[in-house]
Amino acid sequence: MKAPAFNRALRQLVALPILLLAMLAAFVFWQIESATRAQRQLGHSDQVTAQLQELLKLFIDQETGLRGFQLTGDPVMLAPWEAAAGPIQSHFANLREMLAGDRTQQASLSELEGRYNQWLGFAGAVLHQDPAALNTARMNQQGKAMMDGIRATTATMLRHESDLREKQYGLAEWLQRQELISLVVSAVVVGIFLGLFTRHHVHAISASYQRRIGEITERSDALFESRQWFQTTLESIGDAVIACDIGGMVTFMNAVAQKLTGWTQGDARGKPLETVFHIVHEKTRSIAENPVEKVRRMGQVIGLANHTVLIARGGREYMIDDSAAPIMSGAGEMIGVVLVFRDVTEERRIQNALVASEKLAVAGRLAASIAHEIHNPLDSVANLHFLLRQENDPEQRTEYLRLAQQELSRTMQISRTMLSLYREPKAPIQIDLRELIEGVLLLLDRRLQNQEIRLETDIAGDLTVEGFPAELRQVFTNLVVNAVEAAGPKGRIRIRMEHADAGELQGAGAIIEVADSGPGIPADTAKNLFQPFFTTKGVQGTGLGLWVSMGIVQKHGGAITLVKSTEPELAGACIQVFLPARTLAQQAGTQEQDESAA
Amino acid sequence: MSVPKILCIDDEALGLQIRRTVLERAGYQVLTAVDGPTGLSLFRGNEVDGVVLDYYMPEMDGGAVAETMRRERPQVPIMLLSAYINLPAEVVAMVDVTLLKGEGPQELLEKLRLMLGTGAQYSSEAPARGGAV
Repeated sequence: MKAPAFNRALRQLVALPILLLAMLAAFVFWQIESATRAQRQLGHSDQVTAQLQELLKLFIDQETGLRGFQLTGDPVMLAPWEAAAGPIQSHFANLREMLAGDRTQQASLSELEGRYNQWLGFAGAVLHQDPAALNTARMNQQGKAMMDGIRATTATMLRHESDLREKQYGLAEWLQRQELISLVVSAVVVGIFLGLFTRHHVHAISASYQRRIGEITERSDALFESRQWFQTTLESIGDAVIACDIGGMVTFMNAVAQKLTGWTQGDARGKPLETVFHIVHEKTRSIAENPVEKVRRMGQVIGLANHTVLIARGGREYMIDDSAAPIMSGAGEMIGVVLVFRDVTEERRIQNALVASEKLAVAGRLAASIAHEIHNPLDSVANLHFLLRQENDPEQRTEYLRLAQQELSRTMQISRTMLSLYREPKAPIQIDLRELIEGVLLLLDRRLQNQEIRLETDIAGDLTVEGFPAELRQVFTNLVVNAVEAAGPKGRIRIRMEHADAGELQGAGAIIEVADSGPGIPADTAKNLFQPFFTTKGVQGTGLGLWVSMGIVQKHGGAITLVKSTEPELAGACIQVFLPARTLAQQAGTQEQDESAA
Repeated sequence: MSVPKILCIDDEALGLQIRRTVLERAGYQVLTAVDGPTGLSLFRGNEVDGVVLDYYMPEMDGGAVAETMRRERPQVPIMLLSAYINLPAEVVAMVDVTLLKGEGPQELLEKLRLMLGTGAQYSSEAPARGGAV
């Protein structure tokens, strides 16, 4: 039942009983009126009867006076006669008036008046006669007959009136009965009707109300369930989740968040986020920016700074990887911020181990390369030594010694290059990039020659960057080796290096581009290119080269990206490395210790 | 028995010349080639008794050269002499002897002698003979 229908039902429930009761009252009033009218008519009959009886009494008084005068002749006896004369006339007048509506009685009254006047005539004759002649039998007979007539007429009238009264009484009684019955019946009918009507309406309203209550209960149950579902889902997420209101106060924390921060939800609720979620930079230990502030400022999902350390309530520290996102209302207004983060301490440890293992693999490959590079001249030296032992010709000996010296110099040069590759300063130093890249190319020269690869270099001079040379050499060795493998025999590689001006997002530095004439990198491969353990080289590759390279470049504050080659002849892969002139890399830390261990 | 003829193939020209001298001093007749294709044409044009082959060479590596030789004249013994430590297993299985560069001339001559089955005649202590490199 909708609200208007509900209101209409309520109005009906009040208005209809009032209307019915008013009708009942009107009916009762009409009944009472009828009864009163009947009662009035009864009273009228009684008044007529009383008048008639009084009239009869007055007649008798007059007759009695006349009889006394007849008997005695004494005028004193006529006193009642005289006293009654006036009232008789007034009674006649009254009766005429009262019986105006009753023809039968009017006729009787006229007859009575006639008889009375006749008797008065007789009485007049009596009064004016000689008293002696009054009391005669004839006179007496005449008077009596007249009076009998009067009495008879009066009696007729009285009877008539009595009959009338009887009839009216019956009517009044009937009316009274009717009235009672009507009253009872109408009261019962109205009562029943009202009862049924009210019952029906109250039922309808009650049913509607029940339905509404049911609906509300159902809706609130569903709401509760859905809330529970979301709560459970959030609780079950393996990542830590903290929600804040727009003021940066904590409103929700899931179990993982409670475990990592060391705060229970009860304690944390309503507290500022920075109190509960205390984050600092891993190395500098400076307090990291409040993610709520950052999201409010940017109005979008943000990844938080790398190398963030969460300090739990008890002082325990976790390396975390996190992101924060605005919570939007239906109207698109920001009403809070949700933070998702996870403990990457273990992951970071594994990453470090992987970096070390890639270093080992690099070292292994390097060892093979060293063996090859060194054993060739060593073999010659050993052979020359063998020949020298048997040679007596001084000229020939000198020639052997010269050759031996030449081969030893070559060995020394290779050895020095290898050493410089592995001798690493503890702090970033100024590196001449041209020298560094040429050193890398020198080491790979044989490989390039073997594959008959055409190498083009477009290297600007005087480009220095701050950094760790061995690490950067590892990066470029990696890139060039990849390019050699991609280009294949008789392929083409171009290495371009140029100065990069300071831009909006990065400072000045150098851009080094390594492009090859290979088949290029398909899109699905490209997106995994910098992921660990991703390799296109089968068992030959560790799948860590580019990942480690990216780590090194990022450590230097640079970037490594796969770009689209601009030259149609070099349609293969083109990797671009940006290195800032001033590095962000800090003092050599654990990573470099791993390296020296490797 | 005539002087055994050895074909030496190595892209390291200087090392090849020095090796040639060592082998000649040991009494062998030596043919040299600085790449696979040249080596193969010498192999086809000469009755050689053995081959000393480098593995890591541009264009055509020692494996490919050995495979061709085995197909053409499988009876000719081949020694794979390389500074490369990760030689593919199938290449190692194909040749008669492998030797790591830098193990010294005595080892080279000894293994070559065993490979050719020529007894003690061409020992590493063979008398010195003059000859320019």
